[in-house]
Amino acid sequence: MAALLTLSLSDSSVTNNQSLSSRSSNRSPRIEENERRKREADPFVLALKYFSEVKVGTPVVGNDELENNLVQVEKVAFTMGLSPEAISVMLEFAMSLRMGSSPCARVLKCLIPASVVPQDAVVRAVVWLSVGAIPITTQVLFIKWVLTVFDMIDAKDKLRAIYGIIFSFVTEENLCPFICHLLYLLTRKESVRVFRVRKLLELQSKLGRQPFLMHLLSLYKVFCPELLTISIPSRMRSGFKNHISPWKSALMALQKTNSVKVAPGITLAFAVKDKTGSRKRKLHQELPELSAVTNKEPETEQTRRDLVPIVQISSFTQLLENIHRIELPAQMASLLGSSLALHYLDCVQDESALLRLNFWLGCALQEEFLFCSDGGANQEEGLQFLSRLLFAQQFLQEGFPSSTVFLYKFLNVWNGSLLCPQILGLLSDISVIPSSQIRTLLLEPLMQLFFTSSLFFKCGLIECLNTMLVKWLTWHSVYTLDDDPDISLDGHTSVNITLSGFRDSVMELVQFVGQLASVGLQLEGCHSLLLSFILDFYETVCDTFLKFGLHLIIMPPPGVFYPAFFATDPVSVDRLAYIMCRYKANLMSAKIQEKVTEKAFHISRQTFRQFNQYLIFMVNCLWNSSMYSPETELLLSEELLAKSNVPQYWTYFDFIHHPAFMSYAVDFHQMCWPDRKNMDLNSIKQSKPWSWYLQYLVTQGFDGLKDFIKDTIKGVVTTGSGDESATLRQQLDSA
Amino acid sequence: MDKSRTSVTSTPISSVSTRRIRRRSFRQSTRSHFGVASRLGLTPGQTTHRFNTSRKAPKPQNITEKVSPEHLALLVKTEWHLCYVTPLYRFRHTQLKSYARQLSAFIAAEKQQGLGVEVGGLQDTFKVSMSVLQGLAETNDDPETVLIQVQSRPAFARQDEPLKTVWSGWLSCINGNPEYLHSLPKDFTCLPLFGSRGLEGLSSLVKSWLRSTFDCFFGPLDINQTTLRWLAALWTNCHMESNIQHLKMQWTLPAAPPLHVAYTVNSGDALALWRSVRKSRGADEEACIEIEEVTSFMEGLTSHFYRHFGVDLSAGDLNQVSTALGSAKVKGRMKISSSRYLISTLSLLTECAFLKIPI
Repeated sequence: MAALLTLSLSDSSVTNNQSLSSRSSNRSPRIEENERRKREADPFVLALKYFSEVKVGTPVVGNDELENNLVQVEKVAFTMGLSPEAISVMLEFAMSLRMGSSPCARVLKCLIPASVVPQDAVVRAVVWLSVGAIPITTQVLFIKWVLTVFDMIDAKDKLRAIYGIIFSFVTEENLCPFICHLLYLLTRKESVRVFRVRKLLELQSKLGRQPFLMHLLSLYKVFCPELLTISIPSRMRSGFKNHISPWKSALMALQKTNSVKVAPGITLAFAVKDKTGSRKRKLHQELPELSAVTNKEPETEQTRRDLVPIVQISSFTQLLENIHRIELPAQMASLLGSSLALHYLDCVQDESALLRLNFWLGCALQEEFLFCSDGGANQEEGLQFLSRLLFAQQFLQEGFPSSTVFLYKFLNVWNGSLLCPQILGLLSDISVIPSSQIRTLLLEPLMQLFFTSSLFFKCGLIECLNTMLVKWLTWHSVYTLDDDPDISLDGHTSVNITLSGFRDSVMELVQFVGQLASVGLQLEGCHSLLLSFILDFYETVCDTFLKFGLHLIIMPPPGVFYPAFFATDPVSVDRLAYIMCRYKANLMSAKIQEKVTEKAFHISRQTFRQFNQYLIFMVNCLWNSSMYSPETELLLSEELLAKSNVPQYWTYFDFIHHPAFMSYAVDFHQMCWPDRKNMDLNSIKQSKPWSWYLQYLVTQGFDGLKDFIKDTIKGVVTTGSGDESATLRQQLDSA
Repeated sequence: MDKSRTSVTSTPISSVSTRRIRRRSFRQSTRSHFGVASRLGLTPGQTTHRFNTSRKAPKPQNITEKVSPEHLALLVKTEWHLCYVTPLYRFRHTQLKSYARQLSAFIAAEKQQGLGVEVGGLQDTFKVSMSVLQGLAETNDDPETVLIQVQSRPAFARQDEPLKTVWSGWLSCINGNPEYLHSLPKDFTCLPLFGSRGLEGLSSLVKSWLRSTFDCFFGPLDINQTTLRWLAALWTNCHMESNIQHLKMQWTLPAAPPLHVAYTVNSGDALALWRSVRKSRGADEEACIEIEEVTSFMEGLTSHFYRHFGVDLSAGDLNQVSTALGSAKVKGRMKISSSRYLISTLSLLTECAFLKIPI
């Protein structure tokens, strides 16, 4: 068909000819010939042929041939849509007024594209627009049609090349709204010129505040804020109307039947976004709108020519295409408002730009939460603002320096409940603080808050500090991979921090949480929820060496260990066992590494001693039914224990009698000896039932205990008892 | 801008190691302005600026030699509404004419919502002029003060009638902390003190234009209790050279309903009290005034009041201090009546503004 049309169109259009012949693919001549023959009989092809060849001045009235052919075209158009070539032919026929203006509108209304609209056809039609005496209603219809199919036009470069011609129609009063819309879609930076600005302003002074002029002008302002300025009233920000109505039903129907072919976006996307939310708010933290820079450096004018204002970027693909030539917005803070812009913020290296952002953010935070006189009257807005900030920080995976500085001040006046989740979220983003300052800046204010707040705040704070620790450790493990371990770790925090400085900070933090946890557990009566958060924290701490490569191992304080061990819920004991296993793994491999590299990675004897104490105590209690614990600092006098009137109290924390496992022992007992009337849990202690019982416990999902037994009581499982404590000590201390 | 562009294009996107390098440079850039803080010898967590606890006694200056009398006449004897401003990005003293054009177009566009306005076109309603207030700077580091004036023709005025100034404002930095000023990247100009006078609507328009053009932040500059006390003491000290006539103070006491107290002290009495609390008296002219002296001066004043009226003023808030040299209100209103002490008052206010800048 392409070949056929090139033949038939050869007289009418040279440009069309070229574009169409380029369209014909490299099919073999034979197949093409066959197709041609087949098509020639097709009445639709004949109709097209008629329209492309019809002579100027052919009468319309009473012309049956025209009527028949037109019906043919309409039939195809409304069922399948017209091919690009057909659109070219029909548009050319209509706009050239070869048979007068009467069939024009009818033809335009059936121009339903099946796939794309060839750009050249549109360009030619625009040229006809300026030549012919087309009635104004038809002109309007044509522009509406262009607007409707705009996204389906195959390329826009030539259309942009005739921007000037299109612009000249702006003075035509009836066409103006539609021309403005078309210009809006075509405008590029280079098309904004002083004389056009003046023309539009002159028009505006004549026509008044017409939305179409306003939108076009505001786009001009985006590209050339140095030429003009305009302020759009909020109620008029809705964008252009679309003019799809004459073709809507046909396009919809077509989209349904062959949705693949029709371009997806029939409705046009508007760059002028609908602004929701009231304009009355006059809060400090209202993010500025994205807008182009007005204030430019004169010397950079040349390089600036091809920069793209970030306001113009509306999709991620666009962002990627233009990433090397994006112009930062006038106000950096506006980047926080859009998630797309955050992607770009992540790449911004300009120090001044980040400083601008931090100035704004710091001021907005302090004005809103520190200096505010109305104290939480706009909590809703405050919440939104902080959530947005939190989102941005989580996206960038780091805290802004100004929000960190704000938090240091805010912690001193915070009541612990205002916007708690958000503040804790921001808090966990704080980057490493030098150990000399961590107490005054962070820990002391937090301590006050911790001891005066509810259980839930305590849990939240422990969780937050855990997240903070994980972030610090992760950062450390990422940034010291290829560096010499003693290199100064600059570039992360305010003050250059050395590796040992970093270790000190981590140690401060961990010890601080240890103190909080010990006292917190006492205050809350060893609440299992709090205990669970504390164990979360120690799950991070116990793996600092193996998981994060930090040469530091810190044991939990007795105030955490013993409450966890004596906990009445089996989950806590199980997690404690897991933590002890991890400690053991870390300590062992640290020992080995110390031997191999002979580097001064020194774990104090105190750490080993404490670990051994805990371990021996645990094993003795759970396994040997004795509470013997060597050289522990935690000694209860025999008399005090005797006063409790519990006979043989030392047997009450083995796997059978430990309050956390008692119910399992009872279950097991019933399963083992279903007929027994008198329950004697001690009978489990015999060697066979004991090993079955342990297996039973493992099947209940206590993986931590399973590893613990496997790791520490290896080889003892079968015998049921033994002097494992001695072997353990040997294992760890000898190295 | 240019630099960052080339570095981005030369970075291969896929490789992990380059990402880390890039990341690090991003960190560095966030750090470097922390460097501002650490260079000042203070921790990043605490305010980088501290309020001086000791300052020189204001000396009368014959400022008319440095600043033209017309400019001085604009500044003195009017009450200014004060704000603090974060450093201005890409502000050039050489571009004031073009800024003025942009600002007048902006005001026109905002006033007639929805109508486009050509920048540099003839504005018949508002005319903006921006100029440097020559000489209003104390040290070489201080950027020159900038004066902004908005003039307008009254609605039913004849064409030949002169324009009337409806709004004026200035951006200033007197005796700014030199270390802080030096630590800023060169793209920034620090003019932290903003005073304005005139229609509220115009104030907010000008501020919003400055905000969007120089990416800065405006916040209200309250003159806090300490500053007001300082002013009371400093002004009293001036009585040695020029007559302050009286020292007027306004207090608010937390009673229901709030009790307002206007307390006027004869200048001679005030000076006598001031002399009695001064540790280093008279002879040494360069002597600094210490915060302790200010405190005991105020204590003297309040205990005197208590003796007579049985009302303890120290339980309340000082709202306003005024003398013949000027007046200051807690809500950020400042009037300077004598040009001789203009510089010293403005440097005190500059210090307050610096304190409010978060980083």
